[in-house]
Amino acid sequence: MSVSLSAKQVVKRYGGVVALADGNLEVEAGEVLALLGANGSGKSTLSKIITGVVAPNEGQLHLDGKLVSFSSPNDARKVGITAVYQELSLIPDMTVMENIWLTHEPRTLWRVNKAAMRRGTRDLLALFDGTISAGLTPDALVKDLPPDERQIVEICKALSHQPRLVILDEATASLDSQQVQRLYELVQDWKARGMAIVFVSHRMEEIRLFADRATVLRNGRSVGTRDLANTTDSELVEMMIEGAAQLGERTRAPLPDDAPVRLKVSALRGARLRNISFEAHDGELLGIGGLHGQGQSELLLALFGAIPFSGSVVLSGKSVHFRHPRQAMACDVAFVPGDRATEGLLLSRSILENLHLPSWAKFGTPLKMDRARADAQRSVEELQLVAESLDALASSLSGGNAQKVVIGKWLLRSPKLLLLNDPTKGVDVGAKGEFYQLLDKLRQSGAAIILYSSDDDELIGLCDRVLVFHDGRLTAELAGDQVTRANLVTASMGAHPAAQPQ
Amino acid sequence: MTLLRRLAQMNPALLALLLAVVLFFAGGLINPNFVNVNQAINIVRLAAFLGIIAAGQTLVIISGGEGIDLSVGGVVTLAAILVFRFSGGDTLGLIPAGALALAAGTLIGVINGLGVIAVGIPPLVMTLGMTGVIQGTILVVTQGQLIGSTPPIMAQLISQPLILGIPGVVILWLALGGLMWLLLERTTYGKQLFAVGVNRTTARLSGVRVPRVVITTYALSGFLSALAGVMLLGFTQTVFLNLGGAYLFPSIAAVVVGGTVLAGGKGSYWGTMSGALVLTLIDSLLRAAGIEQAYQSIILGGILLALLSIYGRQHRLRQ
Amino acid sequence: MLANTPVSTDTASAPNSVLHAVRRFISKNPFVVALLLLVVTALVNRALQDNLFELRSLNRNLRTFLPAIILAVGQTIVVIGGGVDLSVGAMVSMVNAIFTVLITQESTGLEIAGVLLIGAAAGIAAGALNGFAVAYLRLQPIVTTYATSFLFSGLALLILPRPGGDIADSLQDLYRSTPFDIPFSVFVIGGLIVVWLILRSTRWAQFLYATGGKPEAAYTTGVPVNRIRFSTYVLCGLFAAIAALAYTMLTGSGNPRSGDDMTLATIVAVVLGGTRLSGGQGGVIGTIIGVIILRLFSNIVSFADVPSWWQTLVNAVIILVALAAPGIIRAVQARRSGQ
Repeated sequence: MSVSLSAKQVVKRYGGVVALADGNLEVEAGEVLALLGANGSGKSTLSKIITGVVAPNEGQLHLDGKLVSFSSPNDARKVGITAVYQELSLIPDMTVMENIWLTHEPRTLWRVNKAAMRRGTRDLLALFDGTISAGLTPDALVKDLPPDERQIVEICKALSHQPRLVILDEATASLDSQQVQRLYELVQDWKARGMAIVFVSHRMEEIRLFADRATVLRNGRSVGTRDLANTTDSELVEMMIEGAAQLGERTRAPLPDDAPVRLKVSALRGARLRNISFEAHDGELLGIGGLHGQGQSELLLALFGAIPFSGSVVLSGKSVHFRHPRQAMACDVAFVPGDRATEGLLLSRSILENLHLPSWAKFGTPLKMDRARADAQRSVEELQLVAESLDALASSLSGGNAQKVVIGKWLLRSPKLLLLNDPTKGVDVGAKGEFYQLLDKLRQSGAAIILYSSDDDELIGLCDRVLVFHDGRLTAELAGDQVTRANLVTASMGAHPAAQPQ
Repeated sequence: MTLLRRLAQMNPALLALLLAVVLFFAGGLINPNFVNVNQAINIVRLAAFLGIIAAGQTLVIISGGEGIDLSVGGVVTLAAILVFRFSGGDTLGLIPAGALALAAGTLIGVINGLGVIAVGIPPLVMTLGMTGVIQGTILVVTQGQLIGSTPPIMAQLISQPLILGIPGVVILWLALGGLMWLLLERTTYGKQLFAVGVNRTTARLSGVRVPRVVITTYALSGFLSALAGVMLLGFTQTVFLNLGGAYLFPSIAAVVVGGTVLAGGKGSYWGTMSGALVLTLIDSLLRAAGIEQAYQSIILGGILLALLSIYGRQHRLRQ
Repeated sequence: MLANTPVSTDTASAPNSVLHAVRRFISKNPFVVALLLLVVTALVNRALQDNLFELRSLNRNLRTFLPAIILAVGQTIVVIGGGVDLSVGAMVSMVNAIFTVLITQESTGLEIAGVLLIGAAAGIAAGALNGFAVAYLRLQPIVTTYATSFLFSGLALLILPRPGGDIADSLQDLYRSTPFDIPFSVFVIGGLIVVWLILRSTRWAQFLYATGGKPEAAYTTGVPVNRIRFSTYVLCGLFAAIAALAYTMLTGSGNPRSGDDMTLATIVAVVLGGTRLSGGQGGVIGTIIGVIILRLFSNIVSFADVPSWWQTLVNAVIILVALAAPGIIRAVQARRSGQ
């Protein structure tokens, strides 16, 4: 079943915004093509056009040499193209098997044949045997599954269509390493059987593991395709960003020994958290690492009073137990959430309102809008925010600028303890650099910062100390020279790194 | 089609106001007596009652979370009946009876808010259930007999010309318009209300006490509906068991015609005021044209559908 | 397969899994809670009203419930699909007016059959208008169906300006009959359940739940979301026409305002029956039980020694508590697990 697909000069505009200016891509049977690019480079748009979810404004799609156009995802599926999406396409209130077979349920006469559906689902789930829990059954409700197993259901759903071409759009993002390894084995099998695979990911290691060739997108344009075997990482990064930025330079002075303790946490327990104890100092950037979803977000949420917990927290020498973010804010604690769109921003409101949301009360009643505007203007300049005006909607901002607004609303309150939950996820390289400078400035002003990052390089480059989490426990505390990639990876698997501090 | 599209891109509040003006003069074509100052004042007076009820509805809809208040009609009736029954028909009795009515409306709003935010009942269901409770309360209060009287001062203050030939209720409505603007745009509560309507997680993580904002909002809706009920009594001078029911769905329609989004987080009160004018005008026009009731109903439905088609549309699934 | 999963190695999860199974059973059969409530309500009612389960009383009760039951079934389908229909009552009024004008004592069987087709067509057309506006013009369901309810009420008034009419006795007799000592309405309710179970077993039902549950995901998967939404309103229109027929057979006459008070009660019944108002979950059987519970509530209140002017209030408070109960239980559970 040989297949080939090419997209030529595909263009997609949303209103005045060009999401994809010149998308090109070619993929053949038996190969894995990686689609690379910074955020907002048009990867997702291009893959959604190929699967018929998004209608292109211009350009051509050729399947097996013939011109095709899809007016819906169903059209694409009929000719053998399916996708595993990053934003899950599952219905939470339906069962695993209902989700997998949605739109092509096995039927006898008019009736959906549940027995056949269950059998087919078991066969598909068997592919992931050994990497999934007993809770993942054909009759389980999707809303009861953890994220990694939902992702696996998503993969099974794509497979159930027996596709000739599969797009894996960030399909590995929530999988653990064992599951990624299993997926890799499966992909090898699909290749051997003549399937074509397009692999979209942010993680360079995985791209190297899975893909044969890579097409790089930059600002909505395809800038080239390379054989991965003869291309270095830095060459690829250079293609992704114009003039590769320097990253991870350690330029700061070490933390003085007598830095006062800002936060002392002892025996903290709560949702997913088991007996966490540590200290953070003024002027310190304390990192939190580990695999995705090991309790890191919960720790930050608990410290901010957003979720219940037990245990002792001493902040600035006083014992505190926050039950609402408001109380934490009153003690100069700030929290930058992980998901900008759903936790950090009011997308359909102005930048001004976003910046002042935590602080309106200080402008009196009626609100002194002139002063609020002046304050906001000052922080926009400080953050080097690129925006039309203070009245522009938050939804009109790019990822990096949007994150600046989320951080800006806390900087306006000059926090003493700043909690950051994976703040640079989906932020482009340039904006990351500016963001690191901002953190450094805050640190120099004496604030204690706790940073959870899913990017190990970021932790290595920025942090004085790193706490590594595994399964809700603190498995290692790495300091100074111990903060290495090898130690981080070892500790994140739940094992003790060779050199254990203290 | 291009005209329609251009209309759709206009500020819906402005569009509604424009429509109100056009409708008013269109009335002159049907009946030359329709266009004069007295008629204009009369229509604004009628719109004021709807507008005051819809003020609370505007706040509740902005608060999001499928927010809607179906109990406004019941509160209007209850408030009017309480004043009618307990004021004793004189000026002095109006004050405690009015306070009682406003307190009852506010209490009902607080219970609605608690049901919605603390118990997690969908607003549509909670306020619908509350409507039944209010109707029951009315029967208990009246024991089926609508005895009482309206203090004469109410008619003077509310529906008869007060200053420069303008009735008191219109002046109150304009003042309310100003206060609502202040509330929504120039207070912390207003800013937090929009935030709660757009995204409750973001709001909470920014220190907003979401339950408090939601309960306050439903309480304000109850208070404003009760205020409207008192006003309405000054106009009708008498009460009946379904006095406020007729205002329930128009109050929602006025909010929507005025450009406040049912999904929450976006809207204005002056849009609602325009919407109330539009709906009242349509109603008056149909009456003035001497159209029989069946056709009135059909035409009203058609106009509402047409208005919705212009700017009440939701997003497409395919981009 | 079990070795490396935190979930299955956690020994504390054993009692939880029973709870989990119960929760899943309820979540797959959302009418179970309503059924329990029905049993309790019926027993309380029986204690106050000795003859409740006698054939005559049962027949009289069920046949007055029937129009509301049929109408609420249509509402349920729209709600599962993620919408709501506030025009159902007006559709009943309109079709009831049509039946009343076209059916007389002299109508032959064939003529009646023809009129029934006309009524069904009117219901379907009305539903199609709603469906077109919501699914294809993408208008908000609440205000749209509110607007169309004026259209339908106006048409009802146009067709039948004032209450009246006298339809064939044969229809009324059929409606009151008790073949095999079972009330006619029981057959109709049974028929509704069978029709629902058949619908539920089709691909259409999968699409329905997917559309109501998460429309974007359903669309991405290839579910014809607009067509499904449209179909829910059309079906609802058809059910409204059938409800109008039941109402006409029950009263033997017509009233251009016959359905006005039915709309909001259908929504309460849907929620009482365990269907979530935001869509994607629930079912028709729960709704049928929901309507019966609602009517039994008011039976209980009127047979208990409640002073007459307090009855409406007591009834409304019972309904409110029943609506709030699931939420209160959830809130208490959340508080407990939060400790």
